[in-house]
Amino acid sequence: MPALHLHDTRPIACLAKTATRILVIDDDACVGTAIQAILARRQCETALASRAHAGIHIFQASEFDVVIVDLFMPGMNGLETITRIRSESAVSIIAMSGFRLRNSLDPDQDFLGMAILRGATTSLRKPFSPPQLIAAIDRSLGLPSSTGESTQ
Amino acid sequence: MTQQEGRADGGGQQAQELEIGRPSPERTRAANEVGSAIAHQLNGPLTALRLYVGEIRQNSGRFRETAEAQDNMQQMVEGAFQETERVCAMMRLIADSFEGPLYPETAAALGRDVINWWSRSGAANGRGPERTVSIQALLTPREREVLAHVSQGCSNKQGAVRMQIGPRTFESHRARVMRKLGARNGADLVRMALGENSVTP
Repeated sequence: MPALHLHDTRPIACLAKTATRILVIDDDACVGTAIQAILARRQCETALASRAHAGIHIFQASEFDVVIVDLFMPGMNGLETITRIRSESAVSIIAMSGFRLRNSLDPDQDFLGMAILRGATTSLRKPFSPPQLIAAIDRSLGLPSSTGESTQ
Repeated sequence: MTQQEGRADGGGQQAQELEIGRPSPERTRAANEVGSAIAHQLNGPLTALRLYVGEIRQNSGRFRETAEAQDNMQQMVEGAFQETERVCAMMRLIADSFEGPLYPETAAALGRDVINWWSRSGAANGRGPERTVSIQALLTPREREVLAHVSQGCSNKQGAVRMQIGPRTFESHRARVMRKLGARNGADLVRMALGENSVTP
């Protein structure tokens, strides 16, 4: 993002540590790139994977504080990815999806709810704003919200 | 909408729907599925747009040169922000209107089918660049250098000479890069390196 030379005056909880390592698994690479750009100025190191299998590979090869997983991707399902990661690690997992396919038996239970049942720490409904992203990361790490606005 | 279409082409099924006065469950479901697939495709770019615009707006005060330029910039940024929020609100309504099948597991499988179908149909052209891994974020400078040589077609020996290190050291760097990127073989590795626009030593 060479066009943006922005400075954030507001400290966020991510800054409390040296660098928060974040892995984004989303088949739409532009989402990961945007998240990477938003977090770059907040001392978060972001790795991207556009396939579930590649993401799990990266996850095993390196160390991360937070994994952000899209629920619907070609190949392996995001729900399976969450189950898989949860089976081998206690890392914070954020499930994200904009695809809200409700089931008619229980309208309250959508896919983000299913993700929580599979072990996701918290969820993020697409399309989300920068404050919502930061708040979700803080929440998943058990940190107090640093943005002061969790919904917008 | 259904009625107009029924009159226009007068097909047997449409005529039947006209009699009943509302679309068949199959047709409703098909329309829902296509709607969901479109919503899913739009959600990626929209999420990215909302993140960029939100961040630009948050920091727009920094583009300060003259008061006039500042006002103008503020106006455009505010406009971009409002429009983005408006489209995002529409997306929420579209995504919410879909009622899935009875069981969550079936719904999940259907959702995946819909998305896969949409990707295969070619209607999903215009997606962002396909990228498996952000190489820069994962590799050390040394490993990036090794990867750059490998992607230029260097053998282990040639690469080692260029970097003025032992061939064994080069090999072990290369093996670590492959492991980190999840490459199965040399060709896989080169493909990943070339997929990333800016692998520089």
